[in-house]
Amino acid sequence: MINVLSGIDSTASALDAERVRMDVISQNIANVNTTRGLDGKPYQRQEVVFENVLKAQQSSLDSNLVSGSSPEMVQIARIQKDNRPARMVYNPGSPDADAHGMVAMPDINIHEEMVDMIASSRSYEANLAVAKNAHSIAMQALSIGKH
Amino acid sequence: MINALFSDSSYVTAKKMLDVSVLRQEAIASNLANVETPNYKRLDVASSFESQLQSAISSGNSASVATMQPELAVDTSAVSGRADGNTVQLESEMLRLNENTVENAAETELINQSMAKIRMAVTGKS
Repeated sequence: MINVLSGIDSTASALDAERVRMDVISQNIANVNTTRGLDGKPYQRQEVVFENVLKAQQSSLDSNLVSGSSPEMVQIARIQKDNRPARMVYNPGSPDADAHGMVAMPDINIHEEMVDMIASSRSYEANLAVAKNAHSIAMQALSIGKH
Repeated sequence: MINALFSDSSYVTAKKMLDVSVLRQEAIASNLANVETPNYKRLDVASSFESQLQSAISSGNSASVATMQPELAVDTSAVSGRADGNTVQLESEMLRLNENTVENAAETELINQSMAKIRMAVTGKS
Protein backbone atom coordinates (compact mmCIF):
# COMPACT_ATOMS: atom_id res chain seq x y z
CA MET A 1 0.00 0.00 0.00
CA ILE A 2 1.29 3.45 -0.77
CA ASN A 3 1.86 5.71 2.15
CA VAL A 4 -0.41 8.67 1.48
CA LEU A 5 -0.01 10.25 4.88
CA SER A 6 3.70 10.69 5.47
CA GLY A 7 4.94 9.60 8.88
CA ILE A 8 1.54 8.26 9.88
CA ASP A 9 3.02 4.95 11.15
CA SER A 10 5.05 6.73 13.82
CA THR A 11 2.10 8.91 14.77
CA ALA A 12 -0.33 6.01 14.99
CA SER A 13 2.05 3.99 17.15
CA ALA A 14 2.46 6.95 19.51
CA LEU A 15 -1.30 7.47 19.80
CA ASP A 16 -1.70 3.78 20.67
CA ALA A 17 1.10 3.94 23.22
CA GLU A 18 -0.29 7.09 24.87
CA ARG A 19 -3.71 5.47 25.14
CA VAL A 20 -2.23 2.47 26.93
CA ARG A 21 -0.34 4.83 29.23
CA MET A 22 -3.57 6.68 29.99
CA ASP A 23 -5.26 3.35 30.80
CA VAL A 24 -2.47 2.50 33.23
CA ILE A 25 -2.68 5.91 34.90
CA SER A 26 -6.43 5.61 35.33
CA GLN A 27 -5.94 2.15 36.79
CA ASN A 28 -3.49 3.60 39.32
CA ILE A 29 -5.87 6.39 40.29
CA ALA A 30 -8.80 3.98 40.53
CA ASN A 31 -6.87 1.70 42.85
CA VAL A 32 -5.53 4.34 45.19
CA ASN A 33 -7.37 2.71 48.13
CA THR A 34 -7.23 -0.94 47.08
CA THR A 35 -5.81 -2.83 50.04
CA ARG A 36 -6.58 -6.29 48.72
CA GLY A 37 -5.87 -7.24 45.14
CA LEU A 38 -6.25 -10.62 43.46
CA ASP A 39 -3.15 -11.87 45.27
CA GLY A 40 -4.46 -10.60 48.62
CA LYS A 41 -1.80 -7.87 48.76
CA PRO A 42 -2.31 -4.14 48.34
CA TYR A 43 -2.39 -2.83 44.77
CA GLN A 44 1.02 -2.04 43.31
CA ARG A 45 1.41 1.08 41.22
CA GLN A 46 2.13 0.31 37.54
CA GLU A 47 4.14 2.26 35.04
CA VAL A 48 4.59 1.98 31.28
CA VAL A 49 8.02 1.84 29.64
CA PHE A 50 8.30 3.28 26.16
CA GLU A 51 10.79 2.01 23.61
CA ASN A 52 11.38 2.95 19.99
CA VAL A 53 11.13 0.54 17.10
CA LEU A 54 12.89 1.11 13.82
CA LYS A 55 10.32 1.31 11.09
CA ALA A 56 12.77 -0.46 8.79
CA GLN A 57 12.62 -3.51 11.04
CA GLN A 58 8.84 -3.48 10.92
CA SER A 59 8.57 -3.31 7.16
CA SER A 60 11.68 -4.55 5.45
CA LEU A 61 9.85 -4.16 2.13
CA ASP A 62 10.10 -0.41 2.40
CA SER A 63 13.07 -0.13 0.09
CA ASN A 64 13.32 3.67 0.12
CA LEU A 65 14.35 3.55 3.76
CA VAL A 66 17.50 1.53 3.26
CA SER A 67 19.97 4.41 3.40
CA GLY A 68 20.21 7.00 6.13
CA SER A 69 18.20 7.00 9.34
CA SER A 70 14.60 6.00 9.12
CA PRO A 71 11.55 7.18 11.05
CA GLU A 72 11.01 5.33 14.26
CA MET A 73 7.84 4.08 15.86
CA VAL A 74 7.19 3.87 19.57
CA GLN A 75 5.74 1.00 21.52
CA ILE A 76 5.13 -0.03 25.09
CA ALA A 77 8.07 -2.26 26.01
CA ARG A 78 6.40 -3.44 29.20
CA ILE A 79 4.12 -2.37 31.98
CA GLN A 80 6.20 -2.67 35.09
CA LYS A 81 5.25 -2.72 38.73
CA ASP A 82 6.59 0.08 40.82
CA ASN A 83 8.21 -1.71 43.75
CA ARG A 84 7.99 1.10 46.27
CA PRO A 85 6.82 -0.32 49.62
CA ALA A 86 3.24 -0.04 50.78
CA ARG A 87 2.29 2.91 52.96
CA MET A 88 1.28 1.80 56.49
CA VAL A 89 -1.79 3.59 57.85
CA TYR A 90 -3.27 3.11 61.31
CA ASN A 91 -6.85 1.96 60.89
CA PRO A 92 -7.77 -0.83 63.35
CA GLY A 93 -11.35 -1.01 62.06
CA SER A 94 -10.30 -2.19 58.62
CA PRO A 95 -10.71 -5.91 57.85
CA ASP A 96 -7.20 -5.80 56.32
CA ALA A 97 -5.57 -4.41 59.47
CA ASP A 98 -2.71 -6.43 60.97
CA ALA A 99 -2.24 -7.26 64.67
CA HIS A 100 -1.09 -3.69 65.40
CA GLY A 101 -4.06 -2.13 63.61
CA MET A 102 -1.90 -1.05 60.65
CA VAL A 103 -3.24 -1.33 57.11
CA ALA A 104 -0.91 -1.55 54.06
CA MET A 105 -2.14 0.99 51.52
CA PRO A 106 -0.83 1.31 47.95
CA ASP A 107 1.78 4.07 47.81
CA ILE A 108 0.14 6.06 45.04
CA ASN A 109 0.67 9.78 44.96
CA ILE A 110 -2.39 11.25 43.28
CA HIS A 111 -0.51 14.40 42.27
CA GLU A 112 2.13 12.37 40.50
CA GLU A 113 -0.55 10.49 38.58
CA MET A 114 -2.31 13.72 37.59
CA VAL A 115 0.94 15.19 36.28
CA ASP A 116 1.58 12.02 34.27
CA MET A 117 -1.93 12.22 32.92
CA ILE A 118 -1.44 15.82 31.74
CA ALA A 119 1.89 14.91 30.11
CA SER A 120 0.23 11.99 28.38
CA SER A 121 -2.63 14.04 26.98
CA ARG A 122 -0.25 16.78 25.80
CA SER A 123 1.78 14.17 23.98
CA TYR A 124 -1.41 12.73 22.48
CA GLU A 125 -2.42 16.20 21.27
CA ALA A 126 1.00 16.77 19.69
CA ASN A 127 0.67 13.55 17.73
CA LEU A 128 -2.85 14.43 16.65
CA ALA A 129 -1.47 17.72 15.32
CA VAL A 130 1.06 15.74 13.28
CA ALA A 131 -1.75 13.64 11.82
CA LYS A 132 -3.68 16.79 10.88
CA ASN A 133 -0.63 18.31 9.20
CA ALA A 134 0.07 15.06 7.34
CA HIS A 135 -3.51 15.17 6.13
CA SER A 136 -3.20 18.73 4.84
CA ILE A 137 0.07 17.83 3.07
CA ALA A 138 -1.68 14.89 1.40
CA MET A 139 -4.58 17.10 0.31
CA GLN A 140 -2.14 19.60 -1.17
CA ALA A 141 -0.38 16.82 -3.05
CA LEU A 142 -3.72 15.74 -4.49
CA SER A 143 -4.41 19.30 -5.60
CA ILE A 144 -1.34 19.38 -7.87
CA GLY A 145 -2.42 19.85 -11.46
CA LYS A 146 -5.97 20.92 -10.64
CA HIS A 147 -7.04 24.14 -12.28
CA MET B 1 12.25 16.37 -26.12
CA ILE B 2 9.14 16.98 -24.05
CA ASN B 3 11.22 16.79 -20.86
CA ALA B 4 12.46 20.26 -21.65
CA LEU B 5 9.05 21.56 -20.61
CA PHE B 6 9.68 20.47 -17.05
CA SER B 7 13.37 21.22 -16.69
CA ASP B 8 13.01 24.84 -15.59
CA SER B 9 15.26 25.27 -12.57
CA SER B 10 12.65 26.75 -10.23
CA TYR B 11 10.24 23.95 -11.10
CA VAL B 12 12.88 21.27 -10.54
CA THR B 13 13.92 22.84 -7.24
CA ALA B 14 10.33 23.16 -6.03
CA LYS B 15 9.75 19.51 -6.89
CA LYS B 16 12.82 18.44 -4.94
CA MET B 17 11.86 20.63 -1.98
CA LEU B 18 8.42 19.05 -1.98
CA ASP B 19 10.13 15.67 -1.51
CA VAL B 20 12.20 17.19 1.28
CA SER B 21 9.17 18.58 3.09
CA VAL B 22 7.43 15.18 2.95
CA LEU B 23 10.61 13.57 4.28
CA ARG B 24 10.82 16.17 7.05
CA GLN B 25 7.19 15.47 7.93
CA GLU B 26 8.18 11.84 8.52
CA ALA B 27 11.10 12.93 10.69
CA ILE B 28 8.89 15.23 12.77
CA ALA B 29 6.24 12.51 13.11
CA SER B 30 8.94 10.17 14.39
CA ASN B 31 10.30 12.81 16.78
CA LEU B 32 6.91 13.63 18.26
CA ALA B 33 5.99 9.95 18.50
CA ASN B 34 9.14 9.38 20.55
CA VAL B 35 8.95 12.55 22.62
CA GLU B 36 8.98 10.42 25.78
CA THR B 37 11.16 7.54 24.69
CA PRO B 38 14.38 7.45 26.76
CA ASN B 39 17.57 8.02 24.76
CA TYR B 40 15.79 8.82 21.52
CA LYS B 41 17.77 11.23 19.33
CA ARG B 42 15.80 13.55 17.06
CA LEU B 43 15.88 13.00 13.30
CA ASP B 44 15.90 15.60 10.58
CA VAL B 45 16.76 15.88 6.91
CA ALA B 46 20.54 15.48 6.70
CA SER B 47 22.20 18.89 7.03
CA SER B 48 24.52 18.05 4.12
CA PHE B 49 21.50 18.25 1.81
CA GLU B 50 21.07 21.99 2.31
CA SER B 51 24.70 22.81 1.47
CA GLN B 52 24.53 20.55 -1.59
CA LEU B 53 21.38 22.31 -2.71
CA GLN B 54 22.97 25.73 -2.19
CA SER B 55 25.96 24.86 -4.35
CA ALA B 56 23.77 23.23 -7.02
CA ILE B 57 21.57 26.32 -7.25
CA SER B 58 24.49 28.76 -7.30
CA SER B 59 26.13 26.75 -10.11
CA GLY B 60 22.83 26.98 -12.01
CA ASN B 61 22.79 23.28 -12.73
CA SER B 62 19.17 22.12 -12.44
CA ALA B 63 20.05 18.59 -13.59
CA SER B 64 22.18 18.05 -10.48
CA VAL B 65 19.30 19.28 -8.29
CA ALA B 66 17.05 16.62 -9.83
CA THR B 67 19.46 13.81 -8.95
CA MET B 68 19.96 14.82 -5.31
CA GLN B 69 18.85 12.28 -2.76
CA PRO B 70 17.67 13.85 0.51
CA GLU B 71 17.74 11.47 3.43
CA LEU B 72 17.11 11.45 7.13
CA ALA B 73 19.87 11.58 9.69
CA VAL B 74 20.18 11.93 13.44
CA ASP B 75 20.38 15.63 14.27
CA THR B 76 23.78 15.86 15.96
CA SER B 77 23.40 19.56 16.73
CA ALA B 78 20.49 18.93 19.10
CA VAL B 79 21.52 18.72 22.73
CA SER B 80 19.57 16.99 25.41
CA GLY B 81 18.28 19.18 28.19
CA ARG B 82 16.65 16.26 29.92
CA ALA B 83 17.75 13.53 32.26
CA ASP B 84 16.62 10.70 29.95
CA GLY B 85 18.97 11.64 27.08
CA ASN B 86 16.12 12.42 24.69
CA THR B 87 16.90 15.37 22.38
CA VAL B 88 13.32 16.17 21.27
CA GLN B 89 11.80 19.44 22.48
CA LEU B 90 8.04 19.45 22.13
CA GLU B 91 7.56 23.17 21.46
CA SER B 92 10.24 23.60 18.81
CA GLU B 93 9.13 20.37 17.17
CA MET B 94 5.55 21.67 16.93
CA LEU B 95 6.87 24.89 15.39
CA ARG B 96 8.88 22.94 12.83
CA LEU B 97 5.80 20.84 12.09
CA ASN B 98 3.73 23.92 11.26
CA GLU B 99 6.57 25.57 9.35
CA ASN B 100 6.95 22.45 7.30
CA THR B 101 3.24 22.30 6.44
CA VAL B 102 3.29 25.92 5.27
CA GLU B 103 6.48 25.25 3.31
CA ASN B 104 4.78 22.31 1.64
CA ALA B 105 1.78 24.48 0.72
CA ALA B 106 4.06 27.10 -0.80
CA GLU B 107 5.95 24.54 -2.87
CA THR B 108 2.72 22.93 -4.06
CA GLU B 109 1.48 26.35 -5.12
CA LEU B 110 4.73 27.03 -6.97
CA ILE B 111 4.41 23.74 -8.85
CA ASN B 112 0.78 24.42 -9.66
CA GLN B 113 1.63 27.88 -11.00
CA SER B 114 4.48 26.51 -13.11
CA MET B 115 2.17 23.87 -14.54
CA ALA B 116 -0.51 26.46 -15.27
CA LYS B 117 2.06 28.50 -17.19
CA ILE B 118 3.20 25.49 -19.20
CA ARG B 119 -0.40 24.56 -19.88
CA MET B 120 -1.14 28.06 -21.09
CA ALA B 121 1.92 28.00 -23.34
CA VAL B 122 0.90 24.66 -24.83
CA THR B 123 -2.85 25.20 -25.23
CA GLY B 124 -3.15 28.95 -25.36
CA LYS B 125 -5.89 28.70 -22.75
CA SER B 126 -5.54 29.45 -19.06
